Amino acid sequence: MSQSTNPTTQFQTDANRVTADVDRRSFLRSSLRGYQTTRDATQERFLNYESARIAAGDAKWEAIENLDVYLAQFADKLEARGATVHWCSDSEEARDAILDIIKKHDAKSVIKSKCMTTEEIHLNDLLEKEGFEVVESDLGEFIVQLRDEAPYHFVFPAMHLKKEEINTLFQEKLKSINTDDPEELTMVAREVLRQKYLSADIGISGANFGVAETGMISITENEGNARLTTSLPKVHIALMGIEKIIPRLEDLALMLPMLATAGTGQHLTCYNSQLGGPRQDDESDGPVEMHVVLLDNHRTRLLADPEQRDALRCIRCGACLNVCPIFKNVGGHTYGTTYQGPIGSVITPHLRGLKDWKHLSHSSSLCGACSETCPVKIDLHHHLLRNRRDAAGKGQGGLAERTLMLGFTIVMRRPWLYRLTGRLGKLGHVLTKPIHGTRIDPFYAWKKTRDLDDPAKQSFKQYWKSRK
Amino acid sequence: MSRDAILGRIREALSVKTDPHVREVAKQSSHSLPVLANGPDGRTQAVKEFLPFVGESLEDHIAAFNVLSDKLQTEFIVVPTIDSARQTLDQLRQKHQWERVGIHDHELVQSCVDQLPVEFLNTSSNYDAHALEKCDVGISGCDALIAQTASALVTNHSAGGRALSVLPPHHVVVADASQMVTTMADGFAMIREKHHEQWPSFISFITGPSRTADIERVLVLGAHGPKKLTIIMISE
Repeated sequence: MSQSTNPTTQFQTDANRVTADVDRRSFLRSSLRGYQTTRDATQERFLNYESARIAAGDAKWEAIENLDVYLAQFADKLEARGATVHWCSDSEEARDAILDIIKKHDAKSVIKSKCMTTEEIHLNDLLEKEGFEVVESDLGEFIVQLRDEAPYHFVFPAMHLKKEEINTLFQEKLKSINTDDPEELTMVAREVLRQKYLSADIGISGANFGVAETGMISITENEGNARLTTSLPKVHIALMGIEKIIPRLEDLALMLPMLATAGTGQHLTCYNSQLGGPRQDDESDGPVEMHVVLLDNHRTRLLADPEQRDALRCIRCGACLNVCPIFKNVGGHTYGTTYQGPIGSVITPHLRGLKDWKHLSHSSSLCGACSETCPVKIDLHHHLLRNRRDAAGKGQGGLAERTLMLGFTIVMRRPWLYRLTGRLGKLGHVLTKPIHGTRIDPFYAWKKTRDLDDPAKQSFKQYWKSRK
Repeated sequence: MSRDAILGRIREALSVKTDPHVREVAKQSSHSLPVLANGPDGRTQAVKEFLPFVGESLEDHIAAFNVLSDKLQTEFIVVPTIDSARQTLDQLRQKHQWERVGIHDHELVQSCVDQLPVEFLNTSSNYDAHALEKCDVGISGCDALIAQTASALVTNHSAGGRALSVLPPHHVVVADASQMVTTMADGFAMIREKHHEQWPSFISFITGPSRTADIERVLVLGAHGPKKLTIIMISE
C-alpha cells in the first residue's frame, strides 16, 4: 500500500495480489457469511424491516436537506451546555484545533476510541510526530495500530487477521504469553489498555450521530472503550463529520437499532451513549472540558451535487462492504481509502478528487447488492454509474478509452463499416486463437482472465433475413 | 469565521434542490408497504409499528426482556420484594467473593445494599477512579428498562456518574417493575419528562455485558467494560 504511487496503479497491483491469495479470500468470505446469517436472523425479528429502512432514510434526508439549520442548532445547544465547538473546513484546520487543545493542557498521553474521521485527517501521524503517546483502545484498531496498518474495514478493522498472526504480534510488541485463544488475547489487550485509560490526559472519540434538538453526540460501541475514553480523561475531544446530524433525540430510537442490525447483525450494540457537554455542576465525574470538532473536508462539495448528496446520509454501518463481491475479492487495503467498499467508492472521488479515484467506480459489478442492503436506502450502485458518467463527461477516460469510443462512433454510424468490422472481428478471433491470453495477444489485458466464445455462425442480421 | 464559512457553503450547496429521482428511490420498495407518515411522525410510527414487537403487558415485556437477556448473556433476575433483592445481592456477593463494592446515592440501591458486609465506594461525589477500578462490582440504579432491546437506560444521575457502570468488572442494575417500558423512544420520553430539558451530560443504553468479536469474529465478553451484567428487577 504505497502512498507515493498513483492510486489507480496501486489499486490494480494490490487487487491482483490479493485476488491470488485464495486462502485469505476464503477466510474473509467465511467470516462475512457468519455476519450475513446473524443479520438475517435479526432482520427477521422486525415487524417490517423495509418500512423501517424508509423511515430511517427519511430521518437522514431531513437532516441533510436542512443541514444548515440543524448543524447550527446542534452547535448552539452544545455550547449552551459548556462544550466548545470548533468549525473546521479541512483536515489541516481540524488537526490544528485538536493539537492546540492538547498542547494547552500540557498533555502527555492520548487515548482514542474508534473514529474513522481521525483516520481521514491522519491525526495519529501528526500527534506521534509531535511526541505524544496515542493509543487506540478499540481492540481491532489497537491490533492494526500495533501492525502499523490502516483499518481493513471501517467497522471490522482487523477482520483480515488470523488469531495466530495476532498471537505473534502480541508476543512481539506486548511481550505477551503464547496463546491463539481469542479470549486470552482479548484479555491481554484489556490489561494493557486499562492502565492507559486511567493515566491518559485526553480522550478522543468520534460520533455516530449528532442530535440537533438536544445538542448531544451519540456513540455506538460494543467494548466499552468509548465510554471509558469519554469518562476518565479530564478532556474529551469528539471529531465529527458535519453530515452526522439527525434532527431529534427520539430519532435515535430508530437509527440505533438500524445501525446495529445492518452493521453487525446485533439487535442493538452493547453501549449507545449520548453525551451533551462536559461534567455539569451537579455531576460527580466526567471530563471538565468537552470539545466537538466539526469537519467539512469537502463534504459540502458532495452536498452541492444534487444527485450524490444522497451519500451523505450514510451512517457508516459497513453493510455495503459486507455484501460487496468486489470487497470480498480485493479486500479492504486495496482501496487505499479511509472508507472502503461501495460507499468509499462513491464518496472518495468527491472528497479527494474524481481524477485520481474514479477507478473505484469502475471496479464494480453493478450487481446492486449494496443498494439493496443499505439501511437508509442510499442508491449506491447508481452513484457508481454517475461517477463514471461524470468522469467521462470531463474527458477523464484516458487516451485509450477516448480512441476506442471514437472508433466505436465511426463504426456504428456506417452500416457498411459495421458489417466489415464484424467480419474482420470473426477473422481476428480465429487468427488470435493460438495466442489467446498470452502476452502477444493484442487484447491481453482483457483476455488473460477471460475466455471468448466463438461467434455464432450466423449473425443476427442474417438470421433475421432468413426468418422472413 | 469558520462557522459562517461552513454554514455559507452548506446554504449555497442546498440552494440546488435534490434531484427528485434520487429522492424518490429512497422511498421505493419492491414490497407493498404500509403508508408511512412524512417527517418525524413517520419515525415515531416506525419505532412503534415496524421494529420488533414485544407485547403490551408487563408480563409480555418481562418475557421479551428475558429471551433477549439470555441471548446477550445478561443475568436478568426478577424478584418479588426489596428484601428478596437484598438476598439475591448477598448470594451474588458470596458467589463472586465481592469485597469492594461501588455504589451511589440512589434510594433503591441504598436500600438493597445496606446490609452487605463489604467495603463501599460511593461515586455520588468526587471519588478516585483508581479506587473504583479496584472495586469488584458497581451497583447502580437506572431510569428505565427497555423491553424491545433488553437494555438498561442510565444517566449520570441514575447510575452514579459515567464510570460506575463501566469501570468495575461486574455491573449490577437494580430496577423497579414500574420502570419497564416498550421502546427506546419511551425511555427518552421518560428522561425528557424527568429532567425538563435540563439534560444530564451522559445518557446510555446498556445492552448486555461488554463484548468484542474483533478476533476472528469469536465473541468474547468483557472487552473493556464489565464482563458480567446483572439486572435485578423488583416486581412488587
